Amino acid sequence: MDDLAQSVLVQWRVNGVLHELDVLPGQSLMDVLRDALRLTGTHMGCMTGHCGACTVMIDGRIAKSCIAQAATLPRAEIRTIEGLMGPDGRLSPVQQAFWDEAGFQCGYCAPGMLFSAIELLSETPDPTDAEIDSALAGSLCRCTGYQSLRRAVRAAARALRETP
Amino acid sequence: MADRDPALAEAPAPGGYVGRAVRTLEGRAPIVGAARYSNDFRFPGQLHAAIVRSPHARARILKVDLSGARKVAGVVLAMDGREVATHLGPIPHYIDPATFGGKSAEVRTMAVDHVWCHGQPVAVVVAEDRRTARWAAAKVQVAYEVEPAVLSVEDAIAPDAPRVVPGWDDNVIMAVPFRNGDPDAAFARADHVVATTVRIHRFSTQPIETRCYNAVWEEETESLTLYGTAQNPHPLRHVLSKVLGMPEGRIRVHAPAIGGAFGMKMHGHPEESLVCLLAKLLRRPVKWVETREECLLIGAREQVHHLELAFSRQGDLLALRDRFFANTGAPSACPGWGMAFLTGLTMPGPYRVRDIDVTMTALVTNKPSWNAARGYGKEATALALELALDEAARQLGFDPAELRLRNFIPADAFPYASPTGLQYDSGDYAGAVRKAMEAIGWDGWRARQAEGPKDGRYLGLGIAYELTPEGGALPGTMVAGYDSSTVRVAPDGSVRVLTGVTTPGTGNPTGIAQIVADELGCPIEWISVVQGDTTTCPYGFGNYSGRSTIVGGGSAALAARAVREQMLKVAAAMLGVGVQALRLSNGVFDSGDGRTLSFAEVAYAAYTRAYDVASCITPPLEAQATFRPPSIRHSPDADGRINPYPSYSNAAYAAVVEVDSETGQVKLLGLAAAHDCGRVINPLLVEGQACGAIAFGVGGALMEEIRFDDAGHQLTRSFMDYVMPRAEDMPGVTMVHHDSPNPDTYMGLKGAGEAGVGGSAAAVVNAVNDALKPFGVAIHDLPLTPARVWAAIHGSGAAGGAA
Repeated sequence: MDDLAQSVLVQWRVNGVLHELDVLPGQSLMDVLRDALRLTGTHMGCMTGHCGACTVMIDGRIAKSCIAQAATLPRAEIRTIEGLMGPDGRLSPVQQAFWDEAGFQCGYCAPGMLFSAIELLSETPDPTDAEIDSALAGSLCRCTGYQSLRRAVRAAARALRETP
Repeated sequence: MADRDPALAEAPAPGGYVGRAVRTLEGRAPIVGAARYSNDFRFPGQLHAAIVRSPHARARILKVDLSGARKVAGVVLAMDGREVATHLGPIPHYIDPATFGGKSAEVRTMAVDHVWCHGQPVAVVVAEDRRTARWAAAKVQVAYEVEPAVLSVEDAIAPDAPRVVPGWDDNVIMAVPFRNGDPDAAFARADHVVATTVRIHRFSTQPIETRCYNAVWEEETESLTLYGTAQNPHPLRHVLSKVLGMPEGRIRVHAPAIGGAFGMKMHGHPEESLVCLLAKLLRRPVKWVETREECLLIGAREQVHHLELAFSRQGDLLALRDRFFANTGAPSACPGWGMAFLTGLTMPGPYRVRDIDVTMTALVTNKPSWNAARGYGKEATALALELALDEAARQLGFDPAELRLRNFIPADAFPYASPTGLQYDSGDYAGAVRKAMEAIGWDGWRARQAEGPKDGRYLGLGIAYELTPEGGALPGTMVAGYDSSTVRVAPDGSVRVLTGVTTPGTGNPTGIAQIVADELGCPIEWISVVQGDTTTCPYGFGNYSGRSTIVGGGSAALAARAVREQMLKVAAAMLGVGVQALRLSNGVFDSGDGRTLSFAEVAYAAYTRAYDVASCITPPLEAQATFRPPSIRHSPDADGRINPYPSYSNAAYAAVVEVDSETGQVKLLGLAAAHDCGRVINPLLVEGQACGAIAFGVGGALMEEIRFDDAGHQLTRSFMDYVMPRAEDMPGVTMVHHDSPNPDTYMGLKGAGEAGVGGSAAAVVNAVNDALKPFGVAIHDLPLTPARVWAAIHGSGAAGGAA
């Protein structure tokens, strides 16, 4: 169906593992992650970049993988939600805080919320509630009304400040 | 009144999990990306389905040409509705209107000859991958003869309205009077009558995970498994068996992790049986994933209320009249239409007025169908009553809080028989209002409001009450009031709970585990809860109506008690003491004389020493129990009324807003709720439920709206158009508990899943109208978008409501 001659060879390090992949124009980063690499923690929610359930980190910045074209990323460092745990299988402080504080209910929005919190806290270690809200505003949650998410980000900030 | 079982309220065994903010057992999976949602299932050789939908609201299908789709490489099957109908029977209604004296339309999986709404399935294409399926679907050519569509309530009730369902003599599914006392006499003696019209718009639950079904055919056993987004696996299995003509025993429905449901994943959807048929015909697994545009077709909540409230000079509400109409869209097998019935049944909410004259009319139109939506019609009761009460307070010069406090059912009147036949279990409505006002700092805000507007920004304060019957059971339907659980203790002492209730992601497995841990006297970490699988779990009805902890927790507690008794007998035999001498806590049996046995030792003995110390029990260590709340009453009383609910959660809401008179923008500054959901098993989970429902209410009051053009084409097709609250839109909610235990459920539980949508929406609307008071306008036409608020302020006349 697609012109295979237009395929692009991309070189990605995904959660620390190097992949060389031949991708087609029109394939979203989300599709490649979910279908080819079986990283199904990245979720499909709206396909228009509004809900944030497909959020990943590309070269250290959060991005919505449903509207990122795979072929436009010839070389990239990509982190998905599966890559948040330490190599020893321990939860990161942000993950731990979201679990302990019952940040999520169904958890479908977790990629957007966790990556938004990580990006926020890397730049703003002691955020105000307004800064938290602004950071989370790229993602939608239908379960929590955001109260528990806010509480989790505050707890994560405390935990990160206390860990050297 | 039903017999009350004193064991229900018995204090749980020591352990102390109940009431504690335990983090969820199932909470680790999603934060590491390991939760497996329906779309994450992939099967060898799996095909993908795409659906061709009608672009018209009402039309005759002249021709469906599938030849273009069939030529696309990778397409394995293309079928139109006529062909599908040769394989599949009509979809049984979740709640058949005919059971309650209404009209029942035959609902087919796909349109045959005639379409009755935009988005109705017309053809299906199956291909090797999703992209090819969608590409091929675009090649299907359908010729339509478009007919005039019936879109609004007013269109639908016009005598010469086209009939949405061919053969019906009007567009009414059902019209039900809810009448009590002598309302006409009460109106005749009233000092004041306040009339108002409240228009509730169409809005939708929109879980972030859309629906997805994977059907797998097993040739070896000629059986079918559906892995999908199903709130009610066992009842769905029944529906599939009817539609496909297969015995239930050869169908398995498995609902894995669900990314939010809120009623939308209750069944009756055409794609459920369609995907199963495709897998059966093709002998290959088939997947269908709903797009967001498709998900937005599923509507709910649209109602028009014409209310009249009769008052005495002192402000006593003497009588209530409400003629209301629900625009439930095209006929559907989903349970959405029943919301309208519950709106009427829940009148007059928390108020003690006895003379009522309410008529519900549920209509079909050529909008897409409803499905159930959190609140299930009770949100509309709250919106209609609470907006009308504020209108009355404005017209009669009463303080809105005083007017409510004057008219509430008093706390000493419970159990209370409502004028529609409901039996409210308990509550203290006046106490809750006072708590909510205190929590938000009502007097302080009033003082700030008295200082006048600043830079054109007007403060407004609103309160509202919501009564939320939960845990419902409708006779003759798969909306059941009871459920079942099995508790198993393995030889190593680990505990498995299999339950008929399911979770859409609310945390109820953890609540159930807390209850079982306390009943068994073991650490919660030893417990795993299994849900959502018709092969492993006891027959159950799944998740709806805030029932999962009431009946899932209640039945698991009863089963755990039975297992505990068996284990105590074995332990007593092992130690040579009487059962009464034993204490079981934290997984240790203690005889009181210095000797102890571990949970695992006793469990192992129960399995392996069946001919000595365990001869006193019947192995295995397993029990199944059902909890059937005794206060549900389906035998009609003298007036033909039933009580379909065991639990009457309720809450007071207070909101503070700021309205920018230049732009019409509403900013929500504060929200507080005083919430009564009976005994709290886990405050983290209860507050999470309440805050989520409140966000639904805020979204519904201010931004969420599904819109159509004049021909019935749905205009709202993505999250660009369907605007939902984000973190910045939601202020912190101050939650205070004002719990009164339910005497009719295990440990005093009430539902906690649904309450909050209507109460919070009404409080926000009342706050906006309070802010608009200086302009002499009030809006009762929802949602309060900036355009509508601006129009009200600037007198364009487009606002509706009382001016």
